[in-house]
Amino acid sequence: MATTETPIVKRSLFSWIFPGNLKLQGSLLFIIILTVAARLLPLEMQRRIVNEAIKLRSIDLLLIYCGIFLGAVILASGLKYLINVLQTLIAQRTTARLRKGLYRHILNLPLNFFRNTQPGTVVNALTNELTVPGNFVGMAIAAPVTNVMTLLAFAGYLFWLNPLLAAVSLSIYPLVVLLVPLLQKRANRANKKRVDAARKFSSKIAESISGIHEIQGNGAYEFENRKYAGLVDKLLKIRIVWSLYRFGVKQANNFFTGLGPFLVFLLGGYLTIKGQLELGALVAFLSAQEKLYNPWKELIEFYQVYQDGRVNYDRTMEYFDVEPEHEIAPEGRDPLELDGSLEIRDLSFVTENGIRLLDGINFSLKSGEHMALVGFSGSGKSTLALCIGQLYKYTSGHVLIGNSEVSDLTKKDVVNNVGIVAQSPFIFEGTIKENLLYACIAANEGDGSGQDKSLPTLDDMIAVLHQAGIFIDVLRFGLNAIFTPEQNKELISSLLRVRQNFQRGFGENLADYVEFFDEDKYLYYSSVAENLTFGTPTRDAFDVTNLPQNEYFLRYLDESQLTRPLLGLGAQLARQTVDILRNLPPEEVFYEQSPIAPEELDEYKVLVKRLKKTKLHQLSPQDRSKLLELTLRFVPGIHKMVSLPEILENLILEGRALFKEKISAENPEAFTFFQMSQYIHSETILNNIFFGKLKTVSPQAQDKIDTSIVQLLIEEDFLEKIVEIGMDFQVGSRGDKLSGGQRQKLAIARALLKNPRILIMDEATSALDNKSQSRIQNLLETRWKGKSTLIAVVHRLDIIKNYDKVAVMKAGKLGEIGTYDDLIARKGMLYELEFGKQ
Amino acid sequence: MNSNSVNNKGTPSCEFQENLDMLRQIDFFSALPLEVAKVFAYLCTREIFKTGDYLFQQDEDDGQAFYIISGKARLLHKEDGQELIIRDYETGSFFGRLALMGNMPRLFSMIAVTDVTCLTITRQKFLKAINQFPDQMPRIIKAIVETIQAWEKRFLTHRTENCEACMHKIGVSLV
Repeated sequence: MATTETPIVKRSLFSWIFPGNLKLQGSLLFIIILTVAARLLPLEMQRRIVNEAIKLRSIDLLLIYCGIFLGAVILASGLKYLINVLQTLIAQRTTARLRKGLYRHILNLPLNFFRNTQPGTVVNALTNELTVPGNFVGMAIAAPVTNVMTLLAFAGYLFWLNPLLAAVSLSIYPLVVLLVPLLQKRANRANKKRVDAARKFSSKIAESISGIHEIQGNGAYEFENRKYAGLVDKLLKIRIVWSLYRFGVKQANNFFTGLGPFLVFLLGGYLTIKGQLELGALVAFLSAQEKLYNPWKELIEFYQVYQDGRVNYDRTMEYFDVEPEHEIAPEGRDPLELDGSLEIRDLSFVTENGIRLLDGINFSLKSGEHMALVGFSGSGKSTLALCIGQLYKYTSGHVLIGNSEVSDLTKKDVVNNVGIVAQSPFIFEGTIKENLLYACIAANEGDGSGQDKSLPTLDDMIAVLHQAGIFIDVLRFGLNAIFTPEQNKELISSLLRVRQNFQRGFGENLADYVEFFDEDKYLYYSSVAENLTFGTPTRDAFDVTNLPQNEYFLRYLDESQLTRPLLGLGAQLARQTVDILRNLPPEEVFYEQSPIAPEELDEYKVLVKRLKKTKLHQLSPQDRSKLLELTLRFVPGIHKMVSLPEILENLILEGRALFKEKISAENPEAFTFFQMSQYIHSETILNNIFFGKLKTVSPQAQDKIDTSIVQLLIEEDFLEKIVEIGMDFQVGSRGDKLSGGQRQKLAIARALLKNPRILIMDEATSALDNKSQSRIQNLLETRWKGKSTLIAVVHRLDIIKNYDKVAVMKAGKLGEIGTYDDLIARKGMLYELEFGKQ
Repeated sequence: MNSNSVNNKGTPSCEFQENLDMLRQIDFFSALPLEVAKVFAYLCTREIFKTGDYLFQQDEDDGQAFYIISGKARLLHKEDGQELIIRDYETGSFFGRLALMGNMPRLFSMIAVTDVTCLTITRQKFLKAINQFPDQMPRIIKAIVETIQAWEKRFLTHRTENCEACMHKIGVSLV
């Protein structure tokens, strides 16, 4: 593992050239030698064509030499292409390895490091700054070898042709070699500044995006724009200076090498006139001299890539050159199985700035004992918990878990024995299940240990969902899932059975909360479109979004005399909704009960304005179709800004009968009508069980429904299946589709599933309501006491009475420790916390 | 809830309009300009509580305010397993103002003694909406201050003789 190697941040850029690329670089060298030969050949042919073929007027020779010339050119470009391919391969592979290596390193860095490091910095380093170093490694062999060899070959050839002329025309290059590094040094200085500025710039972007709530909440747009613009301008200035120096290098080089032919003409012309040089030799000399230019240019470019790459690489590695505080996995032994006892002796934690967050703490816990850590905020309770969990490295004293010093343990040892629920736990994008298994998968994964333990079973997972009190939530996610028609044929037939039993057993009880699909009744919790079609379209053309443009459907509306009243209702809906929402921001709260989506509001605003001047029948087809779309979405039970006139209600019911007749006769494939015997694929599992829709989302209704549904699902032996489906619920980025309480419960479930010897809970229940909090407290007391050691940082004091020990922290010191009753009786600090100063 | 079926059977005004008319009669909302009141009327929802259902329960932070459209609800306080009946609320009462303003676990429970239909609004919706009209906040605060003052004044005027012990604990309007 990486532990024996030099850490990536200490490696030099050169160390990347050969290791891992040996074969590629070797082949490259071989091809280069061929290339140089293939490049030299045309020159000699050139000379021979002029001197021999033309002079001797031999067509045969001309053809032969031209043939060789052509062959050499084709070979040279083919080989050059191959070189580029290999070079790209090496460059990209190296960049990838750099990215992986640095990422691995960064994940291991101490938490402290990330207090001062914005995510943007890391993103920028991993995406941008490592590409040029990668390119350098790709070029590191190919470019200098090809070009130096080509240069030497050509120079040799020139000397062979005419030493004097060669010496004069090559005299320029030493000048360039002197000048270029001077300019490059300045370019490097600018580049260093650029790397730093780019880092700040990326941080700023990342900060604004993660703080977007605060920015929008405070309307701080201008303020943020100013801060951002300042950084952009600074970067702009640096980049201009940097680019100018880079161009300067190129330009100086171009200028001096451009002088070459001038010298050759001057001296060579003179020599030829005087008869001391053959014309053919001059021609050959001139083209060889011209050919010097390209390899030289490439060398200079390579030099620049090297310099930029070096600066980027060093600057980046320097930034992340922080030692991880602990080894990842033990070498040569299995991860330890620690005993759950805990002993803290003279523990202190001092920050880099010399602030003493923990000061001489002493206490011990037997395996399986539960301790509550309380105290004022800032007293160091979280710091203490994090030191025990090895997330902070304490600066002096001892933390012994099962007699092993925590700071000497590897991460793997700690991870296998300690579970942590953080203050604001992080939920990753993905499903509930993936988040639930997160800790287990990580603990199982062989960071050296190699053997994978089996993952928890479905029963285990369901058990912890129960324990953490998130079971019902997950069940609801499952019930709200929608199946695709292909999926789960078997499941669907069982669900239809559940539906029938539901109707029999619970239908009446829940009639107040559920509106059942009934062909003869208007459905106030379904849209107008569903009320008309009373079924699910199986063709796209009949999809709700396409209905307003569907000729067949529009004709049907005309026939059933629904067009005008529906348009009228649409106009009323548009007017009322726009009137209420026009000044409100596009937040979900305001749009939950609106038929218009946030992004459509502006469009409907304009339409409403037009409606003031225009009669309905004068509207353009587009406008009519917009209004019709709105009406078709209208759900009277949700969109309360307009009521559905009784006349229209009856018209729609008549229209429903007509539609069924018409479709069955003309287009029987286009719809599946709602029937007790049919699964409705467009609806959720819950609505399918109901064969209807919920009328309310109020908590008390939800409770009643949950109870009935759970009972039903247990009877049908279907509960686990639905929960399993619910565990596939996608929680959104950072779990933002879950409530704060759900996130905390999921994090607790995640830690419980791991079944750690020592559990650290850092205000882990702070976002939970009382019921859930005491439920988890109960669970800890009954199921975990005596089995796992618990250290709970607690903010609310009403749950600490039954802990084995209560420790009160004050200003980094352990003020008092004992049972709740003892401490209260002593009338010390806990008493003061609980009852205030008397 | 199914109350809306009433106006879906052809009554001239829609639920939104009815909500608006009700809000105009509640001190807490009546001072707001029409444009703002409309937003609240739109955000309110109707709930039905069956006899025996809890509107809210002691120790829970449900964060809602209620206006009783019809029916009767009873305020209870539980202590050491004993349930003390405090008083009844009837059609036209509005309660829960403070729960709209910030986190507040309930100190009492409210149970429906008949079927109760309520107009409710949640703290989340209320705060989001009032944030859009920050200049209305003083009116809301004024309404709350007046309500609390009136409450304690009423208590002081109507208290009975056997209340001497609690007299030492009064003064909630001084907070």
